[in-house]
Amino acid sequence: MAAPTFPSPLSSHFVAIGATVCLLSGMGTNVKAVETPGLRVYPSQVQLDSPESSSQVLVFGRSSDGNSVDVTRQATFQVSEADIIQISSMGRVIPLKEGRVEVRVNWNGNSSTVAVEVKGIASPPAVSFHHDVIPILSKAGCNSGGCHGKAEGQNGFKLSVFGYDPPADYEALVNSGRGRRVFPSAPENSLLVRKATAEAPHGGGRKIEPDSRWDRLLQRWIREGMSLDPPSIKPLSGIVVEPPEVTLEVLGTQQLRVSAIDANGALRCVTSEADFQSNNEAIAGVDRQGLIAATAVPGEAAILVRYLGHVGVCRVTRPNGSGSSDLSRPSESNFIDRLVWDKLDRLHLIPSSVADDASFMRRAFVDTIGTLPTTNEARGFLADQSTGKRSRLVAELLQRPEYSDYWAQRWSDLLRIDKDTITPQSAVAMSRWVRGQIDHNVPYDQFVRSILTAQGSTLSQSPAAFFQVHSEPEKAARAVSQLFLGVRIECAQCHHHPFERWDQKDYFALAGFFTDIKRSPHPLGGLKIAAGAGSDVIHPRTTQPVPAAGLGAPPATFAMGQDRRQVFAQWATSPENPYFTRTIVNRVWAHYFGRGLVEPIDDLRATNPASNERLLDALAQHLIELRFDLKSFTQSLLDSQVYQLSSEVNESNRIDEQNYSHALWKPLPAEVLLDAISQATGIAEEFNGWPKGYRAIQVWDNKLPSHFLEVFGRPRRETVCACERGTEPSIAQALHLMNAPGTIGKIHEPSGRAAQLAQSELTPDAIIEELYLATLSRFPDQGEQQLMRQAFESQDRPAATEDILWTLLNTKEFVFNH
Amino acid sequence: MYNINIGQHRHCDGISRRQCIRLGATSLFGGLSLPTLLQLQAKAATTNQLPKAKACIFIMLEGGPSHIDMWDLKPEAPAEIRGPFRPISTAVPGTHISQLLPHCAKVADKFTILRSHSHNDNAHQTGRHWVLTGYPPSFADGQAKGVPFNELYPSIGSIVSRELGEGARVPPYIELPNALGPGGPGFYGAKYAPFTIDNDPSQPDFKIRDLNIPASITDERFERRQRLLAEAERLGVGQPTSGRAHTLSSYYQQAVDLVTSPQARKAFDIQAESSATRERYGYSSIGQSALLARRIVEAGGRFVGIDHGSWDTHTDNFSSHEKTLVPPTDRALSALISDLDDRGMLDDTLVVMMGEMGRTPLINKDAGRDHWSQCQSVILAGGGIKRGAVIGASDKTASFPTTQPYGIQDLLRTIFALLGVDADKVYSTPLGRPVPIVTGGKRIDELLA
Repeated sequence: MAAPTFPSPLSSHFVAIGATVCLLSGMGTNVKAVETPGLRVYPSQVQLDSPESSSQVLVFGRSSDGNSVDVTRQATFQVSEADIIQISSMGRVIPLKEGRVEVRVNWNGNSSTVAVEVKGIASPPAVSFHHDVIPILSKAGCNSGGCHGKAEGQNGFKLSVFGYDPPADYEALVNSGRGRRVFPSAPENSLLVRKATAEAPHGGGRKIEPDSRWDRLLQRWIREGMSLDPPSIKPLSGIVVEPPEVTLEVLGTQQLRVSAIDANGALRCVTSEADFQSNNEAIAGVDRQGLIAATAVPGEAAILVRYLGHVGVCRVTRPNGSGSSDLSRPSESNFIDRLVWDKLDRLHLIPSSVADDASFMRRAFVDTIGTLPTTNEARGFLADQSTGKRSRLVAELLQRPEYSDYWAQRWSDLLRIDKDTITPQSAVAMSRWVRGQIDHNVPYDQFVRSILTAQGSTLSQSPAAFFQVHSEPEKAARAVSQLFLGVRIECAQCHHHPFERWDQKDYFALAGFFTDIKRSPHPLGGLKIAAGAGSDVIHPRTTQPVPAAGLGAPPATFAMGQDRRQVFAQWATSPENPYFTRTIVNRVWAHYFGRGLVEPIDDLRATNPASNERLLDALAQHLIELRFDLKSFTQSLLDSQVYQLSSEVNESNRIDEQNYSHALWKPLPAEVLLDAISQATGIAEEFNGWPKGYRAIQVWDNKLPSHFLEVFGRPRRETVCACERGTEPSIAQALHLMNAPGTIGKIHEPSGRAAQLAQSELTPDAIIEELYLATLSRFPDQGEQQLMRQAFESQDRPAATEDILWTLLNTKEFVFNH
Repeated sequence: MYNINIGQHRHCDGISRRQCIRLGATSLFGGLSLPTLLQLQAKAATTNQLPKAKACIFIMLEGGPSHIDMWDLKPEAPAEIRGPFRPISTAVPGTHISQLLPHCAKVADKFTILRSHSHNDNAHQTGRHWVLTGYPPSFADGQAKGVPFNELYPSIGSIVSRELGEGARVPPYIELPNALGPGGPGFYGAKYAPFTIDNDPSQPDFKIRDLNIPASITDERFERRQRLLAEAERLGVGQPTSGRAHTLSSYYQQAVDLVTSPQARKAFDIQAESSATRERYGYSSIGQSALLARRIVEAGGRFVGIDHGSWDTHTDNFSSHEKTLVPPTDRALSALISDLDDRGMLDDTLVVMMGEMGRTPLINKDAGRDHWSQCQSVILAGGGIKRGAVIGASDKTASFPTTQPYGIQDLLRTIFALLGVDADKVYSTPLGRPVPIVTGGKRIDELLA
């Protein structure tokens, strides 16, 4: 397979968003460099082609400081002939009769004009069920998951959620309920209309105003004979959201305009029928009419727009403070710094200073190899005066065997290497395979291709057991999609994904790659995984086979007898696949920086944009240039100034959690924490049935009984979701740190660090220093020395040493990486 | 209820001013997600609520108890169905239960038997998930596993913890003597996870794990350590005022409170009960768990889940019911109900005892009974439940309800109504999917006093 079988799976909304930029270049975004006239009206020509249509006009003015701002609601509108159209104070144009008219827009002494043409009033185009009725049912909330869109419907009336199944909705409206919902001879008496307008008692209340455009549209549809569009009706090709991004001052507002692009490329304004939602209400909200309103909280938000299964987004930036920033930019080690500083500049955030050597060292050890530095390693690094020692440390860490142990364990979680699912023998075999891949730094794309096309015995050192875990086509499709492409396709199993473009067809198309995988008992035990010829999956609603296809890609073609998974793997791991590289880049970034550029980290979609899209793109590009070499990629991340920032905040960046203006506090994962306690106390944990000296990050058995690991959130390996690892604190954790007999025992053990130090010739100050290095990997300062000396004043050396060790193990500085 | 209109809440109506201020202060530059806000804004639909119960003790008989051998006997049925046990009369004239339940028979005037509980999931994991979360699991990963693919519904206890959990000296949601299968917080998050007492209170050396300061550490030394720790934290690296490290701080404080508060320690100190009382509940896992549950509720606990296992009697159904399963359960339940009543606590403590299924009326070749979810008996008492009633009836072989069958959602709606929890409240998953506390179902008014 030289070339991928499909073209790039760039989705249409990416295209739509791209198109938006062209349509509205420079408008609405207050980039100062763009020349803005005193007043701009968009669009300059409006066409209305049915009695129930409407069109949103956007008006941009220039503020006192020269920025372009939305003045749509402040502007006044004068219409040359008042009986042709109506224009509301929010800039929405509604037709009254056919003709042409000019609207003069005035604001702050400036004026401009818009030409409006009204057609289709005398003989309006027939109402389309798909394109006109369904959007109203959605916008009015009729088919929402809480109302008639529920699985069991509401009071005997059931619609498909978000209108994903128009024929079923048609059936529900027109034929079921003994046909009482529509009344063609007197449309105004139809139950549909009377309930929606609350003329008849309606549990949901009034959803549509009587005699409104929507009321009239529903009635016209009924009057025209309730046609269901022919099956050949062409779906929309996308939507355009304008403006695509905007910077808002404190309490600033921006009206949105949404257009639907039909199959012929023609645009129609659907602002009043589109659904709007903010992903970050604390920063900017949006109302039903598409008016964005910023709060006083600085940051970024994405306004999600949904219309007939298509989604678009407007990105809102709310800079910190009202004035402009005057930052002296910190130095840059690589492109990561440049792109993060750019972002912080725009948000007027001042990054924290660079962390001291000790903080950097502990952070790098724990993040990279899941292991604390020993006291000797710590002393050595801190004493080293040479330049470039940080970068050298990272390079050394990446070559250590603990790196392979730690990352093998993380991948074993995600790949669900669970002995209860695939037998202990298979779990050992596959764990070894994973560790070997990481140890040899096999390029990530190759690693994934091996998994996706795995075959052979599950007892051999191979990823074959992946297909024992994911034992059905749909199961495999869901797991692969989330794990490697960052697309959570499972919503689409039952209905159109509400925030994405994926529908049931996409879901079953993906499953088609994983059909006919044979899992037969192997003569030597375990299963033998082999690919058969494969077949397309039958769509349960249409009962038609859905041709196998990658997400957003045209149907795949297979050579005779070809393993379908090979075609999929080729498509999925291609550098041109926009999901694949971004997903792994985001995953690795989230590990080292404590938060994904996209969160949740395996949920990439246009409506869930990255907190720094340019950075995510650049990182993806970088990994491609590195030919998917994850160790080199990690080196780049850790060489950046951004990674090396202190976790201590300043006035300006205190509230920032997603722009990397300071290091975040990350809880030590369960296994790492247990190893850290063992190392700090000098007493290894003993795992039942394992040779002495094995560390928790080396244990392949995720079900090994351990209260400690359970309390601190070891994942059960039952899903491919990174979220399965518990990262939330609990009372049980606090109690366990405080009183657990295991930990207390390790502190007290005669051969342990505390007893050894107490018996040594060291002075109390030297003991304190050693304990700080062993736990927090840094020297204590004078105040801390003084505090800890108190422990020695009232009791003997063993008790004092134990108390200090207990205290340090209970600090959050120990339990977290910071 | 997906129609929570966010736009209308731009000025934070729908959440309290204090929450607003807190949001403003800690909104983490984007750390506060839309779902979080939706959760804060999730609105209660108005329902006729009749909060009677302050707390719920939920006894889960894992594996599926045999309703036809315990609560719904069919002495007229053929021998291959009715089994060897005979009905006995109870404190309620006309109500008969199994000879295996003599203690419960004496207090039958205090509880109600629901004989028409029915659902259609005949497997353990999936059935238990449904019972404990209210959601029939369409586990993408099959029923061998307790966790549905990516979407984890919160359990009753976590819901109660979220809705009613503020302010007690003990954790609001406690499980014992081990974790209930699908008893977790689902997408609600760790904050609403149960505090699991992973220990059997009938054991002579019973104690709450990690609750007690190790014997080698005197109280004085513990206090000294706490002082040292507080100072070390103050002097150490500057810590964030929000996020997980901050949450752990507050949990740490709660843990210190638990460890040092006499009230909390007393709640868990089952040895403080007289031997007569302990005897009354029976020295069994279920008996002492029920007693400890009562102590926890006294200390302000809101939901105590008791897990009691081994009811999956595919073989030797009769000897195991007669010898090992029913007698301790009979003793524990009757003691719990009458003890709560004696203490004036029954009216505001709801007790529920059920399994994930019943058992087949037809006895199999191994003298066992198999899975049967179509007809089961649920025992309810206190907290606004009728006293001494029998609700619903089954056919002459105890195979199907002959009266209105009541499903799991019906039961959960009833439980939540009595606790004053609005079952129609909606929270959104991190993916933005709105999940009502209960979907479908109707409150079972027949059960209410």
